[in-house]
Amino acid sequence: MAEWEIWAVIGLLALSTVVTRSTFWMVGHKVTIPPRMLEVLRYAPACALAAIVGPDLVLDGGEQLQLTVANPKLLAGLVALAFYLWRRNMLLTILVGMLAFTLLRVFHVFGAGG
Amino acid sequence: MAPHDHHDPAALRAGFLAGLPTLFGIAAWGMVVGVAMVKSGLTLAQACGMTLLVFGGSSQLAALPLIAAAAPVWVIFATALVVNLRFVIFSALLAPHFMHLPWPKRLLYGYISGDLSTALFLQRFPDYAPAPGKLSYMQGLMIPNWCAWQTGSLAGIFLGSAVPTAWGLGFAGTLAILCIMIPLVANGAALCGVLVAAVVAIGAHALPYKLGLLLAVLLGMLSAMAVEETQAWWSKRHG
Repeated sequence: MAEWEIWAVIGLLALSTVVTRSTFWMVGHKVTIPPRMLEVLRYAPACALAAIVGPDLVLDGGEQLQLTVANPKLLAGLVALAFYLWRRNMLLTILVGMLAFTLLRVFHVFGAGG
Repeated sequence: MAPHDHHDPAALRAGFLAGLPTLFGIAAWGMVVGVAMVKSGLTLAQACGMTLLVFGGSSQLAALPLIAAAAPVWVIFATALVVNLRFVIFSALLAPHFMHLPWPKRLLYGYISGDLSTALFLQRFPDYAPAPGKLSYMQGLMIPNWCAWQTGSLAGIFLGSAVPTAWGLGFAGTLAILCIMIPLVANGAALCGVLVAAVVAIGAHALPYKLGLLLAVLLGMLSAMAVEETQAWWSKRHG
């Protein structure tokens, strides 16, 4: 990506923050979201985040599907998932997940490459 | 300015104390995003510009792999909007408390209202009736929150550029997204939507312009709605 394109992306990301957080502060009671619409909106963020995390965990750099125990990201991701469900603590989860990822990668457990 | 909006040091301090336990977490989360920005290939200036202007961890993290893959700018914008949709719901709850303020202030306070500040404010002031100290309490939550986030984020940017890429610190960003996603999966319908979205995104990753991502969100939402409809129909019939 060209330098200016990245700055354009940064500008648009800032716009997406302002639009989603401030619109209701600006228009107030003149607009109400229909309840049905609110329900649809409720599911969107989780789906979007899943659509980012999923490929990140199972596709390697060459876009090949890696559904084996030799994939350190997949295993560390599952460890982190289990840990978060257990402790509900984001920071500890990130630390535990990174520790698992690093150990699997560095010591080539299950033949994991690094 | 309404009389109950006068500067109220006690309320400001109360807001600060309510938010205090979260500040360390916010700073650390900012640090993770800071590291991820640098490790995905942004320059120091771009990473600093992004954190100072965007001020949204999840949309920043969502955009990074798309920037690295040179996805079209409009796809990145659309993805950020979708990830940020939860703020529309939060702001619909928070904004009615402050509609009497002049619009530049409303724009600013809306912009800096993060997830945690909103949740803590609504715990303290559940109803919309004017109350003394509301504005100061909110400032006590939001301003330290902004400072903690930016401090952590800038520290992460400089830390990230000092640490070798081979350490794989960027993976912390993926783990962070995982941790934001899980609490959003509130019921079976949402779980189904999340699974469908992940599978579609993996299967459709080769689609041009990273359109697999938007397709995944759409199909995930539709499946969540379908599950919800089926459950409602089932309980109506058997309930």
